[in-house]
Amino acid sequence: MDFDPSANRVVGTARIPGAPAPKKAPVPVKIIVAGGFGVGKTTTVGAISEISPLTTEAEMTSESVGIDNPGQATMKTTTTIAMDFGVLTIDQTLKLYIFGTPGQTRFAFMWDDLVKGALGALVVVDTNRIDDCYPAVDYFERLGLPFVVGVNTFNGNMAYSLDEVRWALAVREDVPVISYDARFRASVRDALLIVLDQALDKAIKMKS
Amino acid sequence: MSYPDPADEPVPPARPGVRPFLQSGPKHSTGGYTPTGEQPPVAAQTNTLRPFVITAGRTDGSDPDIGMETQVTMVLGAPPSRLSPETRAIVSLLEESPISIAEISARLRLHLGVCQILVGDLRAAGQVDVHVIDNDTPDPETIMRVIRGLRSIS
Repeated sequence: MDFDPSANRVVGTARIPGAPAPKKAPVPVKIIVAGGFGVGKTTTVGAISEISPLTTEAEMTSESVGIDNPGQATMKTTTTIAMDFGVLTIDQTLKLYIFGTPGQTRFAFMWDDLVKGALGALVVVDTNRIDDCYPAVDYFERLGLPFVVGVNTFNGNMAYSLDEVRWALAVREDVPVISYDARFRASVRDALLIVLDQALDKAIKMKS
Repeated sequence: MSYPDPADEPVPPARPGVRPFLQSGPKHSTGGYTPTGEQPPVAAQTNTLRPFVITAGRTDGSDPDIGMETQVTMVLGAPPSRLSPETRAIVSLLEESPISIAEISARLRLHLGVCQILVGDLRAAGQVDVHVIDNDTPDPETIMRVIRGLRSIS
């Protein structure tokens, strides 16, 4: 068989001598894009992803998740939720996943799975419905996950200024509140870079 | 044991999807058996496919470390094994390149939890490798690489 496992790989990426063989799996990292319904999470994911966003469905239970407790199976309530996600290949050994996730409180358990190992989060805000993002902000604050509040400017007009949004959310001083346009790749990239800056600050603090 | 000639076999669909009779969920039940005494649990009435059929009744993830972004690779030269349609579809996805659990779930339209269980099965059978990341906390060097990579896109 003349199947070459490296045939499908990205060409043009420099391969460091002595680096692991191409068939080795890349290290995945992830960023969460959270927020209320219809604020532009999927648009954000789609703008930065190198593939068109995929959707995965997960059956989420509101209790007993991860606990071997079959006796209580009938007590669980299950919800099927859909998550959109995209991929960005940083290089052959590093892949960035961007997960867009529903922001409703009742999906809290799914979030625990989702945020495990996440670098940080972008909380997308629509100034017409600021309170939609409260559960996400609460959750990331409680968890200590680095996050950035990104006001999606849709048509370039915002009902409130960034200062007013910051006041409404009452986030800590060191949490950036920025505006961006989910439709444009460069704008989403810059927003994610701010998330990564926050993640880096935290990682350096934890290491020292 | 005899197998049909490969040429006679219909080409397996790339996407097995949901078994047709499960697609419409319990509300179109054809069953003759209707419980009379106890009411079925509320969860069973939701209009979804029943993933536990595919996982042979299991609902617990085989390994809590298998996350959505966890990468799965094929084991080259794995011994041939009789696989269910779903697990065979997973293996054939891996022929191209390493892939995450979330991508498997999306491409095969299987629930995330189902994929986690099936991939755990395949790992136990020696068909795939699951690359679990040991440390939960991201290290600065990795983040720097992501930052550099992101900056380079336009």
